[in-house]
Amino acid sequence: MNADAVAEGISALLDPTVGIGMLIGLLVGTLVGIFPGITGSMAVALASGFTLTLEPVQGLAVLLTIYVGANYGDRIPSILVNTPGTPAAIATTLDGYPMARQGRAGLALVSSSMVTTAGILVSMLLFLFAARPVAQLALEFGPAEMFSLVVFGLTIMVSISSKSVVKGLLAGLAGLAIATVGRDPITGDSRFVYGINDLNSGLPFIAVIIGLFGIAELFDQLLVHRAHIVKPISSLGRWWPTRSEYRQMARPFGVSSIIGMVVGAVPAAGGDIAGLIGWDRAKRMSKEPEKFGKGSLEGLTAADTAASATLGGALTTTMALGIPGDSVMAVMIGSMIIWGLQPGPSLFSNSPDLVISIAGIMVVAAVVSLVVSLVRTRGIVRLLDLPNHYLWVGILLFCIVGTYTTSNNVYTVWVMLISGVVGVVMKRTGFPPGPVVLGLLLGPLAEANLRRALLIDGPGILVTKPISAGLLLLALLALGAPLLAHARRARRGRRAAPEVAGRTSTPTKR
Amino acid sequence: MPASGGDPRQEGVSPAALAAGDTPPEAHDHGFPAHPSKPMEIACGAFAVLVSIVLVWQARAVEVRAETGGIDPRWWPELLGLVGTALGAFLLVRAVVRPALERDDVQEATHQGRVRAVVAIVLSALYVATWPVVGFLVVTPVFLVAATYLFGGRGWRTLVLFPAGMTAFIYLLFVTALKVPL
Repeated sequence: MNADAVAEGISALLDPTVGIGMLIGLLVGTLVGIFPGITGSMAVALASGFTLTLEPVQGLAVLLTIYVGANYGDRIPSILVNTPGTPAAIATTLDGYPMARQGRAGLALVSSSMVTTAGILVSMLLFLFAARPVAQLALEFGPAEMFSLVVFGLTIMVSISSKSVVKGLLAGLAGLAIATVGRDPITGDSRFVYGINDLNSGLPFIAVIIGLFGIAELFDQLLVHRAHIVKPISSLGRWWPTRSEYRQMARPFGVSSIIGMVVGAVPAAGGDIAGLIGWDRAKRMSKEPEKFGKGSLEGLTAADTAASATLGGALTTTMALGIPGDSVMAVMIGSMIIWGLQPGPSLFSNSPDLVISIAGIMVVAAVVSLVVSLVRTRGIVRLLDLPNHYLWVGILLFCIVGTYTTSNNVYTVWVMLISGVVGVVMKRTGFPPGPVVLGLLLGPLAEANLRRALLIDGPGILVTKPISAGLLLLALLALGAPLLAHARRARRGRRAAPEVAGRTSTPTKR
Repeated sequence: MPASGGDPRQEGVSPAALAAGDTPPEAHDHGFPAHPSKPMEIACGAFAVLVSIVLVWQARAVEVRAETGGIDPRWWPELLGLVGTALGAFLLVRAVVRPALERDDVQEATHQGRVRAVVAIVLSALYVATWPVVGFLVVTPVFLVAATYLFGGRGWRTLVLFPAGMTAFIYLLFVTALKVPL
């Protein structure tokens, strides 16, 4: 990357409006993290409606800072009320809450903030050093490889986000099918338009994303909410770690950083999976594994480092390949496309300065989030008492108005509302929304490249080109692995059943 | 991170425990996982088959300007429909012959919750329908009062000040700051 691009990328961050965008993003991200049930993807989907009128760097400042800020806020309810603010903080509850019950909530909050910052910063090294080579490799991709890459991303998301592979695949197919509404990507013929002019340009994907990730989550909360009061732990105790505690945190931090970066780089895998793997690895390597789950600082460090280190990995996959590293990135790709930016290899050749700006925003957001969380945590904790009705009404209104502003057309809002209703039905029947969005975003790319590959070289090209064949093989493995694991579990269960029956029947015989 | 989640306050920490294969300490069980449902699984499979067949039928009906045959604009949606039909049929057969899948990743809906969600959807639809007719500044406070009441807000501060403040904030943010007409 040349020096001009670096200078331009950094100077873009000096614009005061970018700073204001980051402050707004930080505030929203932290709030989103604190309130359980509001996920980062939901918040970024909501905010994307507001940011479309901004310049790309300003908009990215808001969206990326929400992404980072949520990673700080979500640890607070995990530690104080044993409830993860977002799925990425699930593993934080394992040792964070026991620490709080032992009167070490302050130490848990501060340690969590520090390792979260360090995890994000370390993972940004991966983005800075690996993204460009990966993008350069991807520049060599022809239609066959591009199609196989989309299939690979989709199957990984299916295998991770769904309990039932078949339901996940059907969700992905639904997304691909919705993407065919409008003009054909090669010939320009109209498909499934039925005389409705608005459909000529396809379904507005930001509205679909806000519906599936934003309003559907709200409707689900309305369906299942039961009034009960969980009192946050109010005695925070000592804040700063001692020297020996810092030493204790070093090893799990190192191991979990690597785990987080690797998991983050896998398309669609995010902080929830990384946090649990990191916690489990640290427990196996620890000299005091018996303390894990009972208030271990090592456990807390491992979980939070791994979860936060996914950010750089996810960003690398998204920006270098155009395949979302996690669900927040899937939403982010939608916004970038609206701004006329196509994440993927061409981003590095067409807008190298923007890549630098993205890295800069992430680094600054992580550092500022640390400062805010160290200084303002006591005040932020009080927000846990905010009644749900303010939150729900706010989300509902922001979903509706935010969607309207993307096109100034009520038709878009109807698409969002219908997507929301479809989304909540999908959620409750076990169909994951992630593959729908991925199919919708990548559908035209998949279709155009597959048809080009088949028309030019015939079907054999998909398996004779090594990269394409390798990606398709990985896709098959991604789909096959959960099925094999399920079959193995079922076999083990069948084997165990007669043994249990035999043991329980023994006393009767006597 | 996965988009799923629901309100984890009601899930307790069981997802973490399950995913980690471990029992977390001091787990508070606020959760009421939804019951597995065979009729629902059968309906899902049947719906998938039906929608996929409609997709194949509609794909074949697409009109193209130049008939080339083979890999034309109909080919891809038709392929998706055929694959969807096969997967839907598999889902349907599986739902009939096998026990229903566990649904521990979603919580059981309450009667009150169903009413709340349906009324919220109807309210939102009414809001969107009347907005272009009577204008944002008129319909928004009314919508906010109704929604706040529906979600459990009571008292004049909650039902008057909050809707008025929220409307003013949205109007200032979009119309004044972002120059977006509402």
